[in-house]
Amino acid sequence: MTRCEDTGKSIGRWLDGELNPAQSAAVCEHMSDCPACGEERRQLEKIETTLRSVLVAESARVELAPLWREVRQRIERKRAWYEGLLERSRELFTAPRAAWAVPVVIALLLGVFSLDSYWPGWRFGASRNSFAAVDSIDAHGRSVALLRENESKTTVIWLYEDQEVENEAAEEESKSSPAF
Amino acid sequence: MELTDWELVRKCQAGEMDAFQELVSRYHQKVYMVVLGLLRQREDAMEVTQETFFRAYRKIGSFQGGSTFYTWIYRIAVNIAIDAQRRQKRNPLDFRDSMDGVLEAQNEVAKDPFSDLRDKELREHLVKAINELTPEHKAVIVLRTIEGLSYRDIGEILGCSEGTVMSRLHYARKKLQDKLRTFL
Repeated sequence: MTRCEDTGKSIGRWLDGELNPAQSAAVCEHMSDCPACGEERRQLEKIETTLRSVLVAESARVELAPLWREVRQRIERKRAWYEGLLERSRELFTAPRAAWAVPVVIALLLGVFSLDSYWPGWRFGASRNSFAAVDSIDAHGRSVALLRENESKTTVIWLYEDQEVENEAAEEESKSSPAF
Repeated sequence: MELTDWELVRKCQAGEMDAFQELVSRYHQKVYMVVLGLLRQREDAMEVTQETFFRAYRKIGSFQGGSTFYTWIYRIAVNIAIDAQRRQKRNPLDFRDSMDGVLEAQNEVAKDPFSDLRDKELREHLVKAINELTPEHKAVIVLRTIEGLSYRDIGEILGCSEGTVMSRLHYARKKLQDKLRTFL
């Protein structure tokens, strides 16, 4: 990296007084020898002084008396019970303060859903010892039900025909087949 | 003898409203300047300034002096202003229009007409360029420019590290410089 590139990155910090004395002296020395870096410094200073002058001029218009009157009125006004509550909840849930809640909610949901792998048969409000229908899959006109008993760790796989499909098949058979 | 900020805070915590008024009188213009630098309109800046002092009064009981009063009050102001800016939907006037009165008032004291014309253009474009920065970049440049706060203080106000402040400042300055090069 050239000296100008090094200095260019440090001019802002130099203006802000954030360099140590040795770094500051090096930047200062370079700027006095290098027209490009000297110009960079002048431009940054100009931006800062212009912005300050605009804001200082504007702030001079602000009068204390009306501002204080408004603030004092608000302070002295008796607040309804819900206003304090609203203020607190707004502060609590305003982003980015509520950002922590997103990973916490995700972790809780994952925890709840993965609990079943470690504690089979666990369900909201379900007794551990009761039978639980784990799944029901419809495959090629057949349904499969899985029943699991937690205490003896017995799993029953139950294959049965879908009643509607069965009825339809029986109906078609009766239509197509001759009376005799 | 003039009381320090901390002495005034202790008096406020003891319920002395006059002490709080003194704090408002010390910081109202600076708070307004920071807020105006972040928002677009004078009216909004004034509302946020009022809200800042109102909230400061409500919370002053919990202020333990872990930071200086001005970083504490700026932190409240910047948080409210950034929230307000994000919510800001209505925008009939932009900051530049709102600031026209100030820019014109400054031009009345013209001495060299050519340099004043350049300065006027620079001021107008600077205000526009500042408005195009993100709230975070705007906040660092405004806090640095107005108060000459250290990176550490700015970081404390904005809740970020000194390194983040440094890089945001560098980026914001580069952005402003690029947009204003012809007027500088």
